[in-house]
Amino acid sequence: MAELSDIANEFIRQEIEEYLERPTEIERNIELFARVRPAMQDIAAALIEGEDDVVDRLTQQALADGIEALEIMDDGLIAGMGIVGIKFREAMIFVPEVLACARAMKAGMNYIEPILSDSGVEPIAKVLMGTVKGDLHDIGKNLCIMMLRGSGFEVVDLGVDTSDDDFIDAIEEHQPGIVGMSALLTTTMPNMGKAIEAFIDADVRDDVMVMVGGAPVTQDFADDMGADGYGKDALACVEVAKKLASA
Amino acid sequence: MNQTSPVKAMTSRERVLAALRREPVDRTPVVNPTSVATVELMDLVDAPFPHANRDAAAMARLAATSYTELGFDSVMPVFSIIQESSALGCKMQWEQKDNWPTVRMSEPIWQDVDDIRIPNDYLSHPDIVCVLDAIRLLRKEFGNDVAIIGKTMGPWSLGYHCFGVEPFLLMSLDDPGKTMQCLERMKEATVQFGLAQIDAGVDALTVPDHATGDLVSGEYYKRFLMDMHSEFVDAIPVPLILHICGRTVDRMDYIAQTGMAAFHFDSKNTPCESKEAVGDRISLVGNINNPETLFSKDPADVRREVIQNLESGIQMVGPECAIPLQTRIENLVEIPKAVRHWHDHHGHSH
Ligand code: B12
Ligand SMILES: [Zn+2]
Repeated sequence: MAELSDIANEFIRQEIEEYLERPTEIERNIELFARVRPAMQDIAAALIEGEDDVVDRLTQQALADGIEALEIMDDGLIAGMGIVGIKFREAMIFVPEVLACARAMKAGMNYIEPILSDSGVEPIAKVLMGTVKGDLHDIGKNLCIMMLRGSGFEVVDLGVDTSDDDFIDAIEEHQPGIVGMSALLTTTMPNMGKAIEAFIDADVRDDVMVMVGGAPVTQDFADDMGADGYGKDALACVEVAKKLASA
Repeated sequence: MNQTSPVKAMTSRERVLAALRREPVDRTPVVNPTSVATVELMDLVDAPFPHANRDAAAMARLAATSYTELGFDSVMPVFSIIQESSALGCKMQWEQKDNWPTVRMSEPIWQDVDDIRIPNDYLSHPDIVCVLDAIRLLRKEFGNDVAIIGKTMGPWSLGYHCFGVEPFLLMSLDDPGKTMQCLERMKEATVQFGLAQIDAGVDALTVPDHATGDLVSGEYYKRFLMDMHSEFVDAIPVPLILHICGRTVDRMDYIAQTGMAAFHFDSKNTPCESKEAVGDRISLVGNINNPETLFSKDPADVRREVIQNLESGIQMVGPECAIPLQTRIENLVEIPKAVRHWHDHHGHSH
């Protein structure tokens, strides 16, 4: 079993010590970072600090040093984003900080994405995400998208106020495995159920798995509407998506 | 705790104004510092959204229902949070009867300090004038019977609307100095609209400024807004009610230092912990849960939450934020009913 002291990067060691509280998460992250090479730890650390220029530079450097794009994504960017998600869930950081981390992730992915798509590396699954009709809250949805992308999913973002037809057109165009819907208003929550009905009428319901979320949404409500999955925060969203992708 | 006996019967307006000053009241007032518009009430007085957000007479008719139909002690003609943003030039989505109007924040109008301009004719924009006229109509109809509360959006919320939420929050992290300059410029819109509503006859003003714990830290509130909110107290001479939804108990100590008359708080904070955080420095208004209680449960559950607030010494009772438009009237009238009932049986107020 790996120990904290096996991790070369001091900042990462501190992050784990200071911010992680759940034993399983501590153990998982110690194992992870003790395994990955120091250059990847440095990328993860810069991402956690939200330093997009540093992530940009280190990613280019790593590629120039011959490190595989996939390794940089998994062991650097995604590993760092894992810690960001936990700190946000525990209210140790807030939305501005998470947005900065997302920007840093993007800085790295700018180099990684073209290489991966050229080399035919498959994403875990393709996910369509949208806030439902009549609802313009998108902060939570965007954080979910960021974590999904940060976990190896390809995500098509339909934005806010997404009509049933917008969802259906996008399903036909992008052929995703999963459709995620977000709603923050009690007035718009039922629109998730209506969208699922519309998927049935348009004969696309069986082509996709549907997951739902947003502050007022509950597991019961999700079940009643006939969704396949529900997640209460961005980390849970990734877990649900992984489960639905392998279902 | 003040005994009721020495306090003579008050009008709704007197009751609200006294509670805003934390003076004795004959009973705890029931207020709506954000909005209690519902589809049922729209039908009752033929003032549907989006019309009721843009036409002064319809706006006044719908606002009046909280006094005439629900028995609240205040009326609030601004049902949404977008009148100023519309006047500032934001792209609008006026929506239908069953949804609130909103700003298309994905198409921001400003990117930098120098983009910020409060138009010279800001106060003559139809969506501003509509509110001012509605206030005059309400004052004419009700005289001094009911408290008329207006609403002027704070600069942090205007920042979300005009810059887009994500760009604005990123700017706050990247360049706090620039963010401060932006807030300084945008606050003009807050002050101007506030003063115009005072001229039109409001008794108090709600200032929504969404620096909520769901988005930013308590330190953020202190760094960017605490002093500015104190300035508003001097610049806008009626009692001010700060509204921030979501979790806020970590910043209530700062909020209590602003000199605002009241803080309208969300059910994500218990009445007890909130009272503890602010002490006697500011009145609290709240905090009946919207989605779970008012929207989905029954009068008995509403009553339970009202009593919790009363027993914690909350100065004014009401919903935590703009209530869901499909909320049943039955649940809303239960709030004043429960307050009266409690006072009848306890014989004192806080
Ligand atoms: C910020 C905010 C706004 C911003 C929105 C900016 C934006 N671009 O999103 C502004 C100020 C513009 C706004 C406007 C309005 N708002 Co608002 N707003 C909020 C607030 C304060 C925070 C929401 C938020 O972003 N939270 C942070 C994020 C990270 O959390 P989240 O969205 O829940 O997302 C997490 C999870 O739910 C989950 N998740 C989210 N989506 C998905 C999807 C999937 C598939 C999965 C698995 C998981 C998942 O993961 C996310 C990350 O952890 C809430 C109060 C609150 N405490 O919730 C009110 C709140 C949602 N708003 C409310 C209201 C009433 C309004 C307005 C109608 C106000 C008005 N009177 O005009 C308008 C309506 C606009 C519209 N038509 O949509 C009410 C809704 C009441 C109700 N339940 O019906 C709330 C609850 C306030 C209250 N206490 O009453 N709002
Ligand atoms: Zn609110």
